[in-house]
Amino acid sequence: MYNNEITPSKFLLLISLVFFMGGCAAPSYGPIVEDLSVQARISERIPVLTVNGSTKVSAKAAAAASPLTPVIKAKPKPYVAPKAVVTITAQPISNQVVTQLVAQENIPPAVEEAPPAVQETQLPASDQAVVEQLLAEADQLKAQGKVTQAVIQLQRAQRIAPREPKVYARLAALQLSLGEASRAEQLALKGLTLVPNKKSYQYYFWKLIGASRSNLGDSQGEAEAIGQAAKYK
Amino acid sequence: MTKQRTSNKAKKKAAIGWISWVWLFKFATVLMVLGVVALVYLDAQIRHRFEGHRWSLPAKVYARPLELFKGQQMAEGQLDYELTQLGYRWVKNAKAPGQVQKTHRGIMIYSRGFRFADGDEQGFLVEVSLQKNKITGLRLSSGASSALVRLEPQLVGGIYPAHNEDRELIQLHDLPSGFIETLLAVEDRNYYSHYGVSPWGILRAMWANIQAGSVVQGGSTLTQQLVKNFYLSDRQTIWRKLIEAPMALLLNIHYSKDEVLEVYLNEVFVGQAGKRAIHGFGLASRFYFGQPLNELKLHQVALLVGLVKGPSYYNPQRHPKRAIKRRNLVLSILAQQGLISDAQKMRYQGLPLDLTEASQVSRYPAYMDLVRQQLKQHYQASALSSHGLRIFTSLDPWVQHQADTAMVDQVRMLNQRHGKIEGLQGALVVSHRDSGELLALVGDYNGGYAGHNWALDRSRQVGSLLKPVVHLTALETGRYSPATLIDDGPISLPQSDGTLWQPQNYDRKSHGKVPMYETLAKSYNQANVRLGMQVGVDKVLQQLRRMGVEQSIPAYPSVLLGAVEMSPLQVNQVYQTIAGNGFYSPLSLVRQVTEANGVLLSHFPFAVRQAASNDSTYLLQHEMRMVAKQGTARGVYRYLPKQQQVAAKTGTTNDQRDSWFAGFSGQYVATAWLGREDAKPTPLTGAGGALHVWGQLMQHLAYTTYEDIKPQSIEYYYINVTTGKAMPNNCPNGVWLPIPKASAPSFNTTCGY
Repeated sequence: MYNNEITPSKFLLLISLVFFMGGCAAPSYGPIVEDLSVQARISERIPVLTVNGSTKVSAKAAAAASPLTPVIKAKPKPYVAPKAVVTITAQPISNQVVTQLVAQENIPPAVEEAPPAVQETQLPASDQAVVEQLLAEADQLKAQGKVTQAVIQLQRAQRIAPREPKVYARLAALQLSLGEASRAEQLALKGLTLVPNKKSYQYYFWKLIGASRSNLGDSQGEAEAIGQAAKYK
Repeated sequence: MTKQRTSNKAKKKAAIGWISWVWLFKFATVLMVLGVVALVYLDAQIRHRFEGHRWSLPAKVYARPLELFKGQQMAEGQLDYELTQLGYRWVKNAKAPGQVQKTHRGIMIYSRGFRFADGDEQGFLVEVSLQKNKITGLRLSSGASSALVRLEPQLVGGIYPAHNEDRELIQLHDLPSGFIETLLAVEDRNYYSHYGVSPWGILRAMWANIQAGSVVQGGSTLTQQLVKNFYLSDRQTIWRKLIEAPMALLLNIHYSKDEVLEVYLNEVFVGQAGKRAIHGFGLASRFYFGQPLNELKLHQVALLVGLVKGPSYYNPQRHPKRAIKRRNLVLSILAQQGLISDAQKMRYQGLPLDLTEASQVSRYPAYMDLVRQQLKQHYQASALSSHGLRIFTSLDPWVQHQADTAMVDQVRMLNQRHGKIEGLQGALVVSHRDSGELLALVGDYNGGYAGHNWALDRSRQVGSLLKPVVHLTALETGRYSPATLIDDGPISLPQSDGTLWQPQNYDRKSHGKVPMYETLAKSYNQANVRLGMQVGVDKVLQQLRRMGVEQSIPAYPSVLLGAVEMSPLQVNQVYQTIAGNGFYSPLSLVRQVTEANGVLLSHFPFAVRQAASNDSTYLLQHEMRMVAKQGTARGVYRYLPKQQQVAAKTGTTNDQRDSWFAGFSGQYVATAWLGREDAKPTPLTGAGGALHVWGQLMQHLAYTTYEDIKPQSIEYYYINVTTGKAMPNNCPNGVWLPIPKASAPSFNTTCGY
């Protein structure tokens, strides 16, 4: 076939070259550059993606295609290195603008495992299999060091079973282990509202509140929580 | 004469010719050098653009994924709706992702799998057993046991850069079978053998066009088309034409055919949706069919390929006849070239266009508005519109759909009932009761219009919606209970200008001493102002602040009757705290943000802060349930089953300028507002207007039975409402009311009447 021969293409290349040079020599060179507008286009479309050019992609062996690996060139403002996830403390959405949320760039140093005196295993199993499954997944993630993913799983459980105290127990314990004592205390307080007649939970939550307050340096509050916990031992 | 002239001419010509040749040579050399320089420059540009930087990808915004688990309660029609929105196709036998099938137990779903912020969810084939819209079982065909699975989330929008280009990146292996063959058959038959340009192709196209009597084929190669779209502006100039060919050649020299093709597939322009330009076949497939590209059948492939020639002329939504004609022509070309049989051609040509039923206009303008606002706090605009970030939100497509429908239906009916209400506007906010996540936002009475966001941008007086806060403040003192008698006699208060403020009841009557719960149920102004003055306006405002209202409000007594301007979103935040047993959790809507490849960037953890005691909130919730059962909000039971517990409050402002309704069920907190754009009086009270929007919404949301958890320190007593004292159970006209044990009412051994 015509297309398989080399000469015509060389010829064509030459013709194009001549045309092109003509273009360059012509006084209307300026507009070409503008027309080409490579620069303009690039600034217009902010550069983002690169392709791994070394890998050959074949339509026939499509399954082995190289991934279009997105590489972010320009970093967004609160950008952190992957893995260090930005934890954002949600605040109220105000009338016009969502209030500035506090971005916390580094995960605080982990505190020793939550209240040592409290054994989560003493808590009764949830009657919903789905909750137990998500809690187990969260445990697994936490064991792998994927704390944020664990929190995400627990929040998923909370949406599915919003009145399951065990979910609050885990969320609070996890936050405490992350050094978020204030958040842990509040979650435990909320958890308490779900268990007016469940002693094991009341004991657990009060112990956790005590440990959180101890972390916060609130010794009076801690003593009060320990007193409350003692009632349910 | 003639001869002489000729010879003279010839001589002159020779002389000039000699000089010109020298000049021409010099000139040509200069041109050569310039040309080479230009070519090198061009080459660098091509490589730079092709290898380094390609597209800015808009951030993708996703709705919440639908979770399926045993015991999950769905609303009537919800599962079908969600599957349709996700582009699932109903088939007799589901055997590929994106298909769904009815079974005698329920339905069989073949999901597509998705990369969530917390990890990958594989595609699965699952049979969902349903009884009365409740999931009674999940059976995974793989035999694996899982208590829950989740479908992929619906893509609900993007955050677009200024030029509004949108695309969804695909790779060659994402193409359905027959796609490349179809594309090449129509656009560039010798793609894999030419050198970037194809004079033969041009000739063949011309011939084909002459034969057909119209333009059926284009002459430029895919490489040239790519160069045109990718590097050159849209201006039709001769220079562009001249540069196109050498650029195509250069591109062809540097890159493999497959690489160029992959870029072409993502660059090609295939449609326009308002300001948004649809680029690439990946997005085109979502846009036209609501399905991922790899699920397309040949007749759909033929349509997409056919669209390249003229996306607006052949727009299948606007010009279905043209589109079918074009598609069928593409199918005929396939048959001509022996790629499909005549029988196949006939069969595919007989199929409908199969366009998606889901609307492609932005369906969630109000919600997206807030997503954008929130993200701007954390990310630069350029990062949002160009890095292909993935934003996971809590938007619930079903709730949003019902919220939009309720607003449109009820506004239409109110306009019919009262005659056209000039400039009537509305807003509706819905959040999840326990997580504080925003599920739906309606910012305009007709839902789709993206003008003012009435849920967010506009604050109006809240009227009686503030009364629950007055009650909560009173209950927090420990000196009040729902049974406490409050004087509803006339009240007059001196104002700062020396005049007297004398608020009146809606019915212009006084009701003597009434138990506190009834002052809320009947929304008595005189009693509530008196109660508020007893506990202190400043205390009420402090309580309001703890519930998330941050603006400074002067402590005038009129505040007690709701002379406070708040947006529907803010009102919902206040009611969220009441619904959350006294715990304030900020309304949130972004769950996570990840990079395009799934790496987690931000995460918004659930947080609460106690704003009122659990005991007081429990008492208030009870009062608000009474408002719905027997008070001003009882109209909601026209929409809801009697046994469904809801707690609510109506609100009407002076001269009926604003019609409010706010409250919560076991799962949802919602706030509805209706009023005129110019804030002039309407014929609507809270119960006559916003109540209907709220009621219709709740009627169509999943209803789960829910018992409030009574705190240990509270007991129910049988109360004589005229004395406020407990009496024997067998007395007539008593009311069971929750009262803190610590302030137990005195007990009359007689009925006390």
